[in-house]
Amino acid sequence: MNVNVVLVGHVDHGKSTLIGRLLYDSESIKDERVEEIQKLAEEYKRKFEFAYFLDSFEDELKEERTIDTVSLMFKSKKNYYTITDVPGHKEFIKNMLTGASHADVAVLVVSAEEGVQEQTRRHMFLLKMLGIKQVFVVVNKMDIEDYKKERFEEEKEQISKLLDSFDYATGEMLFIPVSAVEGDNIYKYSEQMKWYDGPTLIDALDGVTLKGKEKPLRFAVQDIYKVENEETIVGRVESGILRRADNVIFEPSGVKAKVEKIKVFEGEWAEAKAGASIGIIINGGVVKRGDVLGLLEKPPKPTNAFLGEAVLLDKNLKKGEVVEIRCGTAKVSGEIKEIRERIDSETGAVLESNPEEINEHDAATIVFATEPLVVEEFAEIPELGRFVLVKANKNIGAGVVLQTNFSF
Amino acid sequence: MGLKELENKSIYIIREAYAEFENPAILWSMGKDSTTALWLCRKAFLGEIPFPVIHIDTGYKFKQMYEFRDRIAEEWGFDLVIAKNEEAMKTGMGPEKGKLECCTALKTEALMNYLDTHRFDALFLAIRRDEHGIRAKERVFSPRDEEFRWNYRDQPLEMWDQYQTQGRSEKGAVQHHTRVHPILHWRELDVWEYIKQEKDIPVNPMYFANNGKRYRSLGCEPCTSPIDSTAETIDEIVEELKMTKVAERSGRAQDKEKAFMMQKLRALGYM
Repeated sequence: MNVNVVLVGHVDHGKSTLIGRLLYDSESIKDERVEEIQKLAEEYKRKFEFAYFLDSFEDELKEERTIDTVSLMFKSKKNYYTITDVPGHKEFIKNMLTGASHADVAVLVVSAEEGVQEQTRRHMFLLKMLGIKQVFVVVNKMDIEDYKKERFEEEKEQISKLLDSFDYATGEMLFIPVSAVEGDNIYKYSEQMKWYDGPTLIDALDGVTLKGKEKPLRFAVQDIYKVENEETIVGRVESGILRRADNVIFEPSGVKAKVEKIKVFEGEWAEAKAGASIGIIINGGVVKRGDVLGLLEKPPKPTNAFLGEAVLLDKNLKKGEVVEIRCGTAKVSGEIKEIRERIDSETGAVLESNPEEINEHDAATIVFATEPLVVEEFAEIPELGRFVLVKANKNIGAGVVLQTNFSF
Repeated sequence: MGLKELENKSIYIIREAYAEFENPAILWSMGKDSTTALWLCRKAFLGEIPFPVIHIDTGYKFKQMYEFRDRIAEEWGFDLVIAKNEEAMKTGMGPEKGKLECCTALKTEALMNYLDTHRFDALFLAIRRDEHGIRAKERVFSPRDEEFRWNYRDQPLEMWDQYQTQGRSEKGAVQHHTRVHPILHWRELDVWEYIKQEKDIPVNPMYFANNGKRYRSLGCEPCTSPIDSTAETIDEIVEELKMTKVAERSGRAQDKEKAFMMQKLRALGYM
């Protein structure tokens, strides 16, 4: 199985070191890379560190911090992992979100020495917003705390309290005491923490199940190509299954049609499952990029207003301002009709109701008035329930749809 | 990811870029990665590649690479164009003048001149995250300014397949063109397993072992050396890669001359 894991947490709590350790213990690191890092460490008069496997920018090594997200692949006895490291600084939240957006599972890293810090809170708030609910907590740097059980229990309590406040199901959550530097409870059980009777981090990850729930068919139109004189609608099945001879509707164009062929380079298919990049031929009607196809009996509904929760990564966003909204392949302009609540992305606390504007790093619940488009509620069809905000050609924010067909 | 998922995602990226940009092109080095990327383009467009395929010719490529290039271009029938820095070639630029200088003049500058003449706003490149630490930090859609600089300290927000797709801008504006990386998420082993599965992706014979040596990564003749290997078939390459602890680009001199050489090259616009 393929599992996408993101490591989150505050700066210097040991995310990069932990990933370096996972790669090293799973024997995924090339000899040459180890030598290269040893040489670099000498050159910079530093101790060899596992984090240097990930921090490949010269600035990252010099500044001893991760600037941008990086994904690495490794294999355990059971799974293939794409493991993503994200920076633990507030100024690099944009990179953290980029890295976290593809994750199935998160590992929260908290230093036993420092406990819950600003980015511990902010990362967990943002993960919750992005719908990543499956979380493992590792309490790192146990070596510095002499591997004491009491320290672990204290941290566990503090972290649980935080996660409870964000509505995570902490009761079912695994908390693992580790030392990434020494390798305790990552791949190997710790000799120093015999009092711990749970799984190692890798065993915990190997035990993950990814359950997908059944969702209605949605296909996002990317483009229309003329192939061998046939109008071929290309795009991706976002959810559900598309079958030849399905009666479908494209929204917001409103075109009703029958699927005559499902075409790929190799030939024709009878059906296409979620994730498939395909072409389709219909029996007539003009559709366009940004349209969403669904079955006539369970159609996508176009809307011109929705309620979303978003985080802003640009200076500010004002009520009445018009931005570009991208969802699936749709790109429409939308007005910030109403800002319901301005939310602290660190604590989740409501800072203000009905504010005139929000600022960088704020989260907010916003009513958007848009050109017609198809969005779905994130809880129902996440693939079409998340959006990116664009201003002056720059991606400035991201969010999820709480409510469609919104009236105001 | 499984091969089907990798392929689906690549096709999605190629189609997104084609829809969003007006004048794209793809770079082809005749290696396994960019040849696989060309194959994925054929799949994305259900046949013909609707934009030019650029080969940056340094004049230092292996003879077998030129033969391979001309043969595949004819078989697949795409629009092959060749970019050269004739001026630097005339003045005798070569690796003995410094590897960074040589790569910059014969590759980066050749590409810059060509891009400026033909006004491409997007460039497909078959780099992969697992090739090099620096490439691991790349975005799928990665903007470059007019000096080809990669502002790696301020990369765009890129969530869920929502890429930052800004078109080419005039001189003076921040953005010049966008690099699009359709196989960024593939590993070296994935590429070979895919080549094995697809059967119709042509492979340069230099990748196969000859007298106990084979090339694992292809570049310019003076700066590329083969590795010890007995892998004579695609199947044997796949098996070899499952076992190896040697880095893919170990035979590529420009990566290794000094620390952060690759970062410096890339900051100057190298691929």
